[in-house]
Amino acid sequence: MGNKQTIFTDEQLDAYQDCTFFTRKEILRLHGRYHELAPHLVPMDYTDEPDVKLPLALIVNMPELNENPFRNRIVESFSEDGLGNLSFNDFVDMFSVLSEMAPRELKAIYAFKIYDFNTDNYLCKEDLEKTLNKLTREELTAEEVNLVCEKAIEEADLDGDNKLSFADFENMITRAPDFLSTFHIRI
Amino acid sequence: MSHYNREGLFNPAYHDSGTLEIDRSSSRKSDHYNPYDRDTEPWQRGVADWAPPEALPPYNEQGRYPWDSREENWRPTDNMAMDLLPQQNDSLRWQHNHGSVNYGYQTDSAVDYITAPQEQQAPWTPHMGETLRQRGTRKMSLFPGGGVALGRLGMTEEDVRDEIESGEQDLVKELFAMSSRDQIQAIRVLQMSLQNKRDIRRQVLACKSSKRGLKLTCLTDCTDQVSRSFRRFGANLVSVRQAMTLWRGTMKEIGGKFGTGVLSYFVFLKWLLMFNIFSFLVNFGFITVPQLVQLPNITDQMDFKGLELLTGAGYFNQTVLYYGGYSNETIGTQPTYDMQLAYFFTIAAYLVLCGFSLIYSMARSFQKNFVLSASGNAWCLLCSWDFSVTNEKAIRQRKNNLRIQLKESLSEKSQGDHMTMSEKFKQFGIHLGTWLISTGLAVASCTAIYFLCLDYLEAINNSESQDFSSLLKQASTLLLPFVVSLINLVIPLLYSLLNKIEKYSNPRTQIYVIILSVIGTKCLPSLGVPEFDIARNVLDLIYAQTLAWIGIYFSPLLPALQMIKLFITFYLKKVSLYQNCQPPRRSGRAAQMQTIFIALLFFPSFVGAMSMVAYTVWSLKPSKDCGPFQGLSTTFEAVALWMERLNIQNLPESMWAVWIYNNMIKSELFFYLISLIILVLIYFFWQVTQGRKLLISILREQIINEGKDKAFLLGKLQKLQKAKQTTASSQPAYTQMPQSYDRIQEIEPDYEQSLPSMPRTAEATGPNGPPITSALIQAMLARRQAEEDEEEGY
Repeated sequence: MGNKQTIFTDEQLDAYQDCTFFTRKEILRLHGRYHELAPHLVPMDYTDEPDVKLPLALIVNMPELNENPFRNRIVESFSEDGLGNLSFNDFVDMFSVLSEMAPRELKAIYAFKIYDFNTDNYLCKEDLEKTLNKLTREELTAEEVNLVCEKAIEEADLDGDNKLSFADFENMITRAPDFLSTFHIRI
Repeated sequence: MSHYNREGLFNPAYHDSGTLEIDRSSSRKSDHYNPYDRDTEPWQRGVADWAPPEALPPYNEQGRYPWDSREENWRPTDNMAMDLLPQQNDSLRWQHNHGSVNYGYQTDSAVDYITAPQEQQAPWTPHMGETLRQRGTRKMSLFPGGGVALGRLGMTEEDVRDEIESGEQDLVKELFAMSSRDQIQAIRVLQMSLQNKRDIRRQVLACKSSKRGLKLTCLTDCTDQVSRSFRRFGANLVSVRQAMTLWRGTMKEIGGKFGTGVLSYFVFLKWLLMFNIFSFLVNFGFITVPQLVQLPNITDQMDFKGLELLTGAGYFNQTVLYYGGYSNETIGTQPTYDMQLAYFFTIAAYLVLCGFSLIYSMARSFQKNFVLSASGNAWCLLCSWDFSVTNEKAIRQRKNNLRIQLKESLSEKSQGDHMTMSEKFKQFGIHLGTWLISTGLAVASCTAIYFLCLDYLEAINNSESQDFSSLLKQASTLLLPFVVSLINLVIPLLYSLLNKIEKYSNPRTQIYVIILSVIGTKCLPSLGVPEFDIARNVLDLIYAQTLAWIGIYFSPLLPALQMIKLFITFYLKKVSLYQNCQPPRRSGRAAQMQTIFIALLFFPSFVGAMSMVAYTVWSLKPSKDCGPFQGLSTTFEAVALWMERLNIQNLPESMWAVWIYNNMIKSELFFYLISLIILVLIYFFWQVTQGRKLLISILREQIINEGKDKAFLLGKLQKLQKAKQTTASSQPAYTQMPQSYDRIQEIEPDYEQSLPSMPRTAEATGPNGPPITSALIQAMLARRQAEEDEEEGY
């Protein structure tokens, strides 16, 4: 309603609107952001669904992700190939899940993926150690890191297998009412 | 909704069906995996010659097979490779995808695959999002291992594709059965990639249009367009309303730069502003507007001098800003509007509404935010990082803070155990001392103000006889507020000094203590850049609101002043924040703080104000010369007189009011009854809470026991597998078969016996179904294999 845009067909915009938590205007704005990451690669006309993917290196340079310690993992978790190459669909999907309207369950699933560095569907001690290193800029001694991770697993592991499955993680999330507002990137 | 057979796992018939899915599709016995089939693709045979390196089950150092450390991965997280759903002619991409994903364990994918139809059997539950979500991820988890595992299962590529498609069709069917708004919501929470969601949506829409294909096409087109444009319009409205939300952009910025803790202060401020807007509208509408229609006769009107803006008295005294500006007349002829009753009931109704809305907000906020709160290392590590902060300095600061926090908690744990008795005594003594001092200070300041008031009143009375200029008299009214403000400034500084002496280890307790003793955690300037003092500022807000509530009886338009004040405060605080403060040291628990703020607002603040107003209304004699209650002995007498008038009139339609008055408000029995009922309800809910706590601990034990069972079973499997290995070489016919089959075959009898330890009740839980272990799955595989072997044997 208003000025005619030729980036997407109306049907495409409806589809985006129904499948993500964004409005039409926000989707167009997202396309603008996607385009400006690589103006020569990303066409302005998406009506024919071009198969364009932007590499990880370009995406993590966005100001919203630039300083985030988990930027690489975030982008990898939303990419199809697991290497961080995002198509526009993946791009929109990423920001949709990270927006404030996404429900807690959806966010928990992706948060789990982000923290799961070795993608084995468990947060084992190595995953936690890597997380901790990213969060503290590696200024804790190895012994402290070890201790913290052990205590973390001890606290959160419910079924006693010494690593956190998704169920354990989700249980912890339900006891953290701030999670919805902290797992949130504004764009 | 259709209910699927949940018993498939233990249903012998289930094992007979070739594809291990529910027996709804045609039997596929012919598609069994045949190890002797030379015509199958190499990947279908799934032997080591094709499998990419990571697909081979590597031994880890302990010499255990990997699959026994990867039990339950049927959960929705199995969609690392987002788009494993094969497109129409895209088998190559599908095969390629698996290689880049680290699901190298064939048994895991077997787990995933077999659990897929199992989950399909979950009955429809009201929580549709979860079921649908599991369906969605089921598709993803179908082929994480790629062809290797499926070859071992005997699935051809077609089977696999059919399975995916049938899963998809089920999903589409379910979506189709919902209303369009539910559909959209359901699609949004699916855990697939966006591309897949769009495909699903397209299919659902195609279903819909094909269903209506029989009707007139142009009519359906029209209705489609109309509904679509309505939805677009609705979405536009939402975005417009979002844009118009007060201060939305600013709050986003503040949240991004300073975190959610500081943001909670501003959210609270905005909430108070909305509250005051509401009260202003109510009072203005019901009291002031009718009064403005017929202004009372004001005698002794003073001139407007500039000082009024400071003192609020003088000229303003006789306007509608004050109680004195209202008359006790009845306005209008037919219908009449009784100012007395209007004043009283408006204020009463407003206060009661305030009370209810505060209780409601408090309850809701408590319910949302005060669940057994997680704290400790796991929480710090996984839930506390604020992804929305984008400022480099802020992030660096947070990282430092987290590190300090972790170090402190580590040292605490080591320290807390080793505190000797004398140290404990010392700490207790310090706490006690500072408590005494702070209470003493509070009491001292209260008495000082009280005596000042008394002296001041005396002075006023004395000075009435003398010839003071009215200007000076008005200026002297400023003395009291000035003194109070001074005390308000000085005492908190003293308190924070005290605070430095005693060091509470738990930061949250610290905040509570501080709030409770009305002090702030202000960083003294000597420590560097101050932080935004959330506690202190919130207390200021609460204090101001308390004053507003106390004053509302005497000045109905006080909310307007409060509104202006809050508005200005917002901008002032924002500027001060940006110029002066750094992000807070501790990652705040904004949600819980919000609850505490509202609770504080309700309990001491609102209840106190309301009691004071109630006391005034019930007992004090209203002013004789002005105001709506002139000439009555108490304010409440207005209502009593009105009831008498109604009684005398004896109109049938107003007798209910008289009855309520006589039996509910005047009688004490009614209030006793209400208190009793509330107490009973409280007791009841408390018992429910206790019961639930017990249930939680029981369920936790159950989880731990299940984990132990799992570990036991897998250990057994491993043992038997080793045993089988030694005998496997003597049976060449079976070498090509994956070892898992043999293994399961052997332990199959054992499996049946160990089965009862797996609680079947777990199956009956909701869509978050039971953890299906690889042991069970392999048992099923073995059984199937055993049956195949039997057939071959005959």
